[in-house]
Amino acid sequence: MTAVKKRRAAALGLVVAAVVTGTMLVTTGAGAKESSALALPRAQTLYMSGNQWSPNNDLNPAKNWDYVTGLVGFVYETPFRYDPLADKFIPWLATGGSWTSKTTYVMHVRQGVKWSDGKPLTAQDVKYSFDITNIPTHPQHPLWADTGLASTKVSGHDVVFTFKGTPGYQEFDFYRFNVAIVPQHVFKQYSATELTTSNLENTRNIVGTGPYRYKSGFGASSETMVWQKRLNWWATKALGLSVKPKYVVDIKNGTNAAALSNLLAGNIDLFNNFAPKSAISKRFKTYYGAAPYHLGANTTWLFPNTTRKPLNDAQFRRALAFSIDMGQILDKAYQGLVNKASPTGLLPIWDKWVDKSAVAKYGFSYSPAKAKSLLAAAGYKDVNGDGYVENKDGSKIELSIVVPNGWSDWMTAIQVISSSAKAVGIHLVPGFPEYGTLTDDRGHSRFDLLLGNDRQMSNTPWTYYQYIYNLPIADNQATMNYERFTDQPAWTLTNQLKRTKTSDAAAYKAVMSKLQTTFMQKLPVIPLWYNGMWSMVNTTYWTNWPSAKGLQYTPSSWRNYWQMTSIDMLTHLKPVSTT
Amino acid sequence: MKRYLARKVLIYLLTFWVAVTIDWAIPRFMPGDPIERLMSRMQAQPSAEHALTGYYTKAFGFDVPVWRQYLNFWAALFHGDLGRSVANFPTSVSSLIFGALPYTLALLVPAILLSFWAGNKVGALAARRRTLDNTVLPASYVLTATPQMWLGIVLAWVFATTLGWLPVSGAYDLSMQPAWTLEFARSFLLHWILPFLALFLVAFGGWAIGMRNMIIYELEADYSNYLASLGAPQKLVRKYAYRNALLPQVTGLALALGAVVAGAIVVEIVFAYPGLGTLTLSAIQNRDYFLIQGIFLLLIVGVLIANFVIDIAYVFIDPRTRIGMQGGA
Repeated sequence: MTAVKKRRAAALGLVVAAVVTGTMLVTTGAGAKESSALALPRAQTLYMSGNQWSPNNDLNPAKNWDYVTGLVGFVYETPFRYDPLADKFIPWLATGGSWTSKTTYVMHVRQGVKWSDGKPLTAQDVKYSFDITNIPTHPQHPLWADTGLASTKVSGHDVVFTFKGTPGYQEFDFYRFNVAIVPQHVFKQYSATELTTSNLENTRNIVGTGPYRYKSGFGASSETMVWQKRLNWWATKALGLSVKPKYVVDIKNGTNAAALSNLLAGNIDLFNNFAPKSAISKRFKTYYGAAPYHLGANTTWLFPNTTRKPLNDAQFRRALAFSIDMGQILDKAYQGLVNKASPTGLLPIWDKWVDKSAVAKYGFSYSPAKAKSLLAAAGYKDVNGDGYVENKDGSKIELSIVVPNGWSDWMTAIQVISSSAKAVGIHLVPGFPEYGTLTDDRGHSRFDLLLGNDRQMSNTPWTYYQYIYNLPIADNQATMNYERFTDQPAWTLTNQLKRTKTSDAAAYKAVMSKLQTTFMQKLPVIPLWYNGMWSMVNTTYWTNWPSAKGLQYTPSSWRNYWQMTSIDMLTHLKPVSTT
Repeated sequence: MKRYLARKVLIYLLTFWVAVTIDWAIPRFMPGDPIERLMSRMQAQPSAEHALTGYYTKAFGFDVPVWRQYLNFWAALFHGDLGRSVANFPTSVSSLIFGALPYTLALLVPAILLSFWAGNKVGALAARRRTLDNTVLPASYVLTATPQMWLGIVLAWVFATTLGWLPVSGAYDLSMQPAWTLEFARSFLLHWILPFLALFLVAFGGWAIGMRNMIIYELEADYSNYLASLGAPQKLVRKYAYRNALLPQVTGLALALGAVVAGAIVVEIVFAYPGLGTLTLSAIQNRDYFLIQGIFLLLIVGVLIANFVIDIAYVFIDPRTRIGMQGGA
């Protein structure tokens, strides 16, 4: 090498080194300023992943589809929590509450709770937190618009909620464990628009009552969010509870494959993404020790467009339901990781409300023979001998069935559905449009059949019936009743259910029976299987995880599950070693 | 020279305008309404949906006619405002882009420069040298034909999953936050190696083949034969051949550097590397109009500047361009 060449090579080397160093400088500067690079002690740190897809830069508890993992649960807490597995409300920031009249609910605010800045939690804070949901752009605005809630007032240590007309008890109950209680003295600086739509990006304003405080990681380019245990959590003194991990690190999702290799490398303790069955081992465990391995978190439904022929015919829809070989779907698409849904579509946690005699009478299960006889009885015959039935007027039936491209389990599932439909003479053509196209078409009635699973487990099956029957139908059905089914009596029953107290068991059961019967008779949507609350836990660093045979808590880091019983998971964990 | 420059600038401005207009138009005419998607994502209840839709439509400026949106877009652009991300409202597009850009630059700039340097050296050496040609050429063909994604997966599988020498994904250890410390630097470098290699090796093969073929072509040119027949040493002939062979390679290099901002989508995805490639994919998946626009805008500007620099650089590194401009033959 000549001297010139050497110099050139050295210059190139310098450029490269400069770029790498420069990047580090920039990432360091752009990242969390208050952070430290010192690695966290592994034995005292819980690593989790599976919830965060968007950047770690939303600190607005109102935006419960976007805020950083743990914001509600770790920092902000709710008046109650709800245990879906025991169907029980757990007093939390409220010590209790009761209906003092048909239209008045009194919530008792817990005394002695302090915000992390040292100020006491007051009934006024609780009132304020419920009041801001009355801003029309607040995502929880239905608390006011739909339940009949008319006013709130503070009375001593209580907050009194007054309703107009019969309250929507079920929906109000839902908000009792979903409205995050925020400090008025901090939040009052925000405008109405900021409170409902902005990211409230100032980390200094993370002032909560919960067990953790913000440590580092906040920012649009951050990959992890780190929480640190707070010393004076009220529940330690009041209830003897303490969260075990000193640090919790939430890892933003990249790709499923990268996440899975991180899990297998032992870097993740709580994994709430889908993982194949082969990943389950002695070290990596699931909630159940055997199939279906995971709790059912939501129902996957087949939505027919009921404004189109022949899907507007209940008999045709029922025939389609009987044709679906669920066993094959569970096997091929899920390797047995999910369970088939009840014909009512209700989640296992609502089993006690299932009307078994109605299911025996109107339910469905895989039976090609029954599907064929239903089709024949309703007048659908194969006129031209092509192996597929035609419409009653003789016109061809060729229906598309779509799921988003890339959702491989669902893609397999609709292939099974279309091949088992073919066996009874129904022509379904699977399609895989992009997700955006699909949601657009779904909202505007441009589809024949599609799959959906938007509603998660909650305190009440009312959320399911609302999802199915909501009226009136709008131009764009963005979030519910995609099938555009107009069934006024069922919608009236749904509203009646909303206005029935769970404690009024007889009335509640009666409405539920009616709803299940009409649902199964007409099948506006077809329940398929229960999507799992995907949860794989690593027993290397932490043990005593929730399980069907032990601690029955929700083993999930997903948003809105911390205020169910996911927080109990953290108070019950045991470190394998303490160093 | 002045006329040459003026003409070039005009052409570039025109190209910029057309490219940016297309950049603005494409996401708007893609199927899928971003606000409806947002409503669906937040599972907005009907009683809140109306107010929310109204608010977001206005916030994104979709409440005015399309021609107005186009003008607003240019006006904002000249103020350096790339808008706000739709999927991550109200995060600004520029903060998302500048958060991801450093990672991509750290990966791609070294990969492109080093592969250019090494590939050209090795390619030039290999030309007309039987043993080297028989080894380097097939190896380069294999490398350049290897999809980066596949190579990335293989590297990750061998060095991360199987051997456990290097981390499998991310840009730094999960227990860390970016900070100016040795510990972080070490972690950053360890995470950098595999994605860098995936990019470097594939590009290396391409440069090597290109250079080898160019050198052979140049060695057969009249000037080489003339020089050789004058008794010039082989080394000198090769030196001149190398200079000439480098010209088209430089064009390629500039274009590669110009496109740097698009990131290395597939490699970044394989390694869950938080650069622009990963950001681009998520922007497209979320129909994030403004984010897609912002990233493409950066790409357009990058490619145009690279081309412009090449046009100017050619005047200096290729005497023929200079002579052509002066009207010579």
